[in-house]
Amino acid sequence: MSVMSAVLVGLAMGLVFGTALEKSRVFEPGMILGQMQMRNFIMLKIFLTAVATGLVVLAVLNGFGLTNLHPKVTLFGADIIGGLVLGTGITLAGACPGTVLAQLGAGYRDAWVTLAGGLAGATTFIYLEPTLKPLLLSGGPGKLTLDGLLGMPFWAPALGLTVLLVAGLVLLERWRPWRDDLGADCDGML
Amino acid sequence: MSCSLTDKAWSPYLAGVIIGLLQIPAFLLIDTALGASSSYVTVSAHLAALIDTGVNGIDYASKHLQGAKNWWQVALVVGIAGGAWLSSRSSGMTRSGYSPIWRRVIGTRASALRFPMAFAGGFLMLLGARIADGCTSGHGISGIAQLSIGSFIAVAAMFAGGIGTAMLLRRI
Repeated sequence: MSVMSAVLVGLAMGLVFGTALEKSRVFEPGMILGQMQMRNFIMLKIFLTAVATGLVVLAVLNGFGLTNLHPKVTLFGADIIGGLVLGTGITLAGACPGTVLAQLGAGYRDAWVTLAGGLAGATTFIYLEPTLKPLLLSGGPGKLTLDGLLGMPFWAPALGLTVLLVAGLVLLERWRPWRDDLGADCDGML
Repeated sequence: MSCSLTDKAWSPYLAGVIIGLLQIPAFLLIDTALGASSSYVTVSAHLAALIDTGVNGIDYASKHLQGAKNWWQVALVVGIAGGAWLSSRSSGMTRSGYSPIWRRVIGTRASALRFPMAFAGGFLMLLGARIADGCTSGHGISGIAQLSIGSFIAVAAMFAGGIGTAMLLRRI
């Protein structure tokens, strides 16, 4: 696909993604902080629903041979350290790398500062990467996947996990209806 | 369940299904999974190249400079801003300044405190996402949906870091 068509596809998908992030209110810092303080569960519900939907989509597409999967290489040290640093940043920012852009679109001023910090962080990583590569970003077991470990076709554990996720979401919703977590101004302030 | 653009809020399940379905065009048209954080590398590498042509010599930067997949992801995050802009205007939910949540968790409305915190947050977010090779989208939504063991680990670490930091702040 040409760069131009890829950009048009990206913009169209982004419009849909941004609408879903805004309408679900998960772009609100109050929702993200509330989730991290285990007081608000809207972020987890969206996240797990998106994972479950993705599992079904990929089980079908991959099961019928329409697409290959692209799991990331497992690097235990990098996954753990990177994940911890990322999570710390998410709480301080009140955003994820994608939802910062939704905050910008909705009008939050501090999102510009978060975005600038993100670009500075990415720039820093570019210059650090050659140093980090032998220490943290190489070796490891390669593309480790659950289906690979189980020796099963992807669709089987994918659909199995989907069932577990849906059951978990049903219980979560019964325990804590999503409307109770919205807040009066739909910003997660309870 | 209603879902009009003029609604203030949609069900998280509807939003989750919509986001999950975006894997269809991502895999079928672009041959990649949904992700957001490597777009920051593409933009940063181009910005850095304006003042330091040496950046082109760094493999990691040059891999992110060109090509349909890199520009697709930059367009995706630009589209996210556009979608949120349209959606917030359609429902009269536009925001200004910053969220009242910050006053509650840090005890002041002062930009002198919130802005450095937002910058540090953004910095750590992208540094961490690039070390782990993925963020909430790439490792979270897409990695787990591909049953990647590294993604399960990265997401667990992400929540551990996020929850640990949030516990140091005041309760919302």
